Amino acid sequence: MSYAGVIPSARSRAMVRESRHLLLTVAPGAIWIIIFLVLPSAYLMGVAFMTNGPYGLPEMPLSLGSFERLAGFGFLGWSPGNLYTLLRSLWQTLVSTGLVVLVAYPIAYYISTCREKWRPIMLLLVVVPSWTNQVIRTFGWMNLLAPGTPLSSLAEGLGLIAPNMGLYPSNFAVTLGLVYNFLPFMVLPLYAAFEKLDTAQVEAAQDLYASPVRAFWHAVFPQTLPGLLAGVVLVAIPAFGMYVIPELLGGGKGMMLGNLVASQFSGGANWPLGAAGAILMLIATFIGLYAMRRIGKRLGGGEEVVI
Amino acid sequence: MALDATTSDAITTDSIPADSITADSIRTESKPMTDTLTLEAADTSSTEMEESTRDASSIEMQGLHKRFGRNTVALDGVDLVIEAGEFFTLLGPSGCGKTTLLRILAGLEEADAGRLAIGGRDVTEVPPHQRSVNTVFQSYALFPHLSVRENLAFGLKMRGMPPEQREARVAKIAEFIQLGDLVERRVDQLSGGQRQRIALARALVNEPDVLLLDEPLSALDAGLRSQLQVELLRVQKRLGMTFVFVTHDQDEAMVMSDRIAVLNGGVIQQVGPPREVYEHPANAFVARFMGHDNLYPISARDGDRLTTPLGVLRGEAVGEGDLLLIRPETLDLLPGEQQGDNRLPATVTERLYRGSHAEYRLEVGETTLQATLNNRGRRLPEVGDRVTVSVAPEDLVTLSE
Amino acid sequence: MRKRTLKRSLTGFWWFTLAFLYLPLAVVALFSFNASNSAARFTGFSWRWYERLLGNEEILSAFANSMVLAIVSSVIALVVGCLIGYGMYRHRHRKLGWLIVLIYLPIVLPDIVFGISEMAFFVQVHRLTGFLQPGLGTMIIAHVTFQIPFVALIVYSRFVGLDPTLFEAAKDLYATPTKRVIHFMLPTIKPALISAFFLSFTLSVDDFVISFFTAGPESATLPIYIWGAIKKGVSPEINAIATLMIAAVAIVAVISLIFSRRRQA
Repeated sequence: MSYAGVIPSARSRAMVRESRHLLLTVAPGAIWIIIFLVLPSAYLMGVAFMTNGPYGLPEMPLSLGSFERLAGFGFLGWSPGNLYTLLRSLWQTLVSTGLVVLVAYPIAYYISTCREKWRPIMLLLVVVPSWTNQVIRTFGWMNLLAPGTPLSSLAEGLGLIAPNMGLYPSNFAVTLGLVYNFLPFMVLPLYAAFEKLDTAQVEAAQDLYASPVRAFWHAVFPQTLPGLLAGVVLVAIPAFGMYVIPELLGGGKGMMLGNLVASQFSGGANWPLGAAGAILMLIATFIGLYAMRRIGKRLGGGEEVVI
Repeated sequence: MALDATTSDAITTDSIPADSITADSIRTESKPMTDTLTLEAADTSSTEMEESTRDASSIEMQGLHKRFGRNTVALDGVDLVIEAGEFFTLLGPSGCGKTTLLRILAGLEEADAGRLAIGGRDVTEVPPHQRSVNTVFQSYALFPHLSVRENLAFGLKMRGMPPEQREARVAKIAEFIQLGDLVERRVDQLSGGQRQRIALARALVNEPDVLLLDEPLSALDAGLRSQLQVELLRVQKRLGMTFVFVTHDQDEAMVMSDRIAVLNGGVIQQVGPPREVYEHPANAFVARFMGHDNLYPISARDGDRLTTPLGVLRGEAVGEGDLLLIRPETLDLLPGEQQGDNRLPATVTERLYRGSHAEYRLEVGETTLQATLNNRGRRLPEVGDRVTVSVAPEDLVTLSE
Repeated sequence: MRKRTLKRSLTGFWWFTLAFLYLPLAVVALFSFNASNSAARFTGFSWRWYERLLGNEEILSAFANSMVLAIVSSVIALVVGCLIGYGMYRHRHRKLGWLIVLIYLPIVLPDIVFGISEMAFFVQVHRLTGFLQPGLGTMIIAHVTFQIPFVALIVYSRFVGLDPTLFEAAKDLYATPTKRVIHFMLPTIKPALISAFFLSFTLSVDDFVISFFTAGPESATLPIYIWGAIKKGVSPEINAIATLMIAAVAIVAVISLIFSRRRQA
């Protein structure tokens, strides 16, 4: 009863059939994404290494000129403008992500302590504003923070801003807009973590005479860390590349990397420079995803953290 | 009790408790084979479909091979003929190839080599939806998006039967399996036992040539399980359909089957009626799988006299083989020490009292021996008792490793 | 005692956060009824901005563009994404790492990078071949690209949640490959298809950045129109159109709430 010598023709036929099936189902979408996203991204990366032509379109020869421009070296010597924009992007990302965590953490916890039938409604209430268009939401803040509005008057009265300046455009307005925009992205994964919370661990900690603070730190916080991490990625990556909010709420001095990149493809018209900025953004994105995977793996169950 | 039930001639009385009904006992009370579901539903079903169940189909397998991946051999040359109208069981431990074989019969798996014929027609390369074969799956696989009624009608609908005929057929099968008002329920409202019966009905309603059952009872608890065993057996006898049943439970296999094939490592070890497989296992694997532990190497033979670790025993018309099998229930325990042929002095080291019988572990010289005594009201030996084991020569069975 | 104060302050914080979340939307809605065109002071109730909307050709065509874009792109993404989702499921035991990377790419790529790569690509292709002129067509292509992954993942996870023997049961019960799709697969994943379509639709209507960079001169959608109006100097009409969009979202929210309630019951 040796198996050797049997030629598995049915087997190879089945394999051919399965491969064809895989191709037929997956190919349309895969080809779509390759043609309309992978190819364009590759082209954009190529553009970053080309020279800026007279109409803003990229030309040969290849050069690293656009990266030098991005770092601030121009015809008139070095200027810190682009570097400031870069640092501002990092700073805004950091501050807004931190603030989002501070607001979302207690909110997610609070929802998880409420009665079960209310929880879906509460989550929906948190999420619904993000279903409206980003431009409209940001426009709402423009209305709220404009000079002469109650909020601006209050800030004036407290001496926080100069008279008749309004709270926007300003870096503060951008931060506020970012926090507003990304709050639901943090609440959802955190809520999921709180809902799964193993309360036996909390009770065990209390049983072992842990103070509420210590019980939180040792029994609750570690369990919510995967959710927190997912939230940080969902907030920080898009925040770093944000375009709409700084464009509307920031004014000239609130510009972030996204605006720098975008302006090179419209008014300013320097594709290679814009593409170089885009590459920077991509690098930041992949560093963020990679770091998150690493930390997630160390915490265990890191796979489920990614979206 | 379980062991007694297998010696089926013993119990053909009318008042049999449900859990001890055997294939033989049902055969005596079952109706003639012509009384099929098809005939009852003859006015509504097409002629072609009637034919399919009235002539139950035989199955012929020739040199079936199947390998998964590079190294896992699931079937290593299976030759087997299953007779028309038989309740045939594929028995073996998990990974022995029994489920693979069933899936090849269903067409869900393609053999790497070999031929398969059902009802005389070669179906080796026929896809499952073109085979008149239906399966009762282990997980039941009822469609969650359909009601029970729609589940039952699914196969008929796929074959293109008009709605009125379909409804009539579904109603008939629902009556036959006694589904009652289950037909109106949603699938998620059913219990395990109900799902099992719906799955059976969903397969039977198509009146296939062959019904395949993939451990259909394994997810149920013991009581329900034995009840459904009986029900399944009755259905099979009334329809006269060929059933191929897969299980890893040798008790279940013995209760239900006309014939059993024991598989191991993708190879058929033995094919035969339950009694033959149980009482005359072809090799040590089959013997152990059927629950036999009293296996002893034969170190010397002198005619019918066999030298074993238990001592020298005299057999009667013993066959070939270098292993001796003594079934525990064939042994008798006599009080005290008694001399004579096929009498072994022993000490009781363990006793498991089971009510209807008691299981003993005995020490005979250097080795151990198991015995089962029916509780007939006489004194049952206690742990520590010195007893004499009496072995009848005709109960000695030899087999090879 | 301490627990109760904690709970009470959390409740307070909850309502404060809700106010924070809804204040900007409420202000937009309020000023859409403002009698004067001041963005800072509410002077009285009026429908005039809504009346002006109806006469504004640009807004009406932007609305039509938004709808065409959302519906066409969602339908294409549903078909293509559904196929991928099924392929991923059926062949999940193979090494499909490259496919996973490909599918996650549109999700993780920052909007702005996504938008400008497509724009640069479309512009160059158009310059060289004459195809892919920026307009509704290029926008649809771009939207489908970011919708496909969501559809694929939703469909895939629905298939993974099914008992795999159901597929075999369908084969066993005489369903031909075509009938398996029509009578088994599609009905079984119908809930997933519906939610995938609605998600795609929402993503499309919600998107601004990618639309902005792939749009042509004639293909402004509502968000693009609003953006332009804001940039030019705020007109109260924007409040009115924005309020209508907020109302649409609110209606969808209520419907989805009712649905989830019914599912629980």
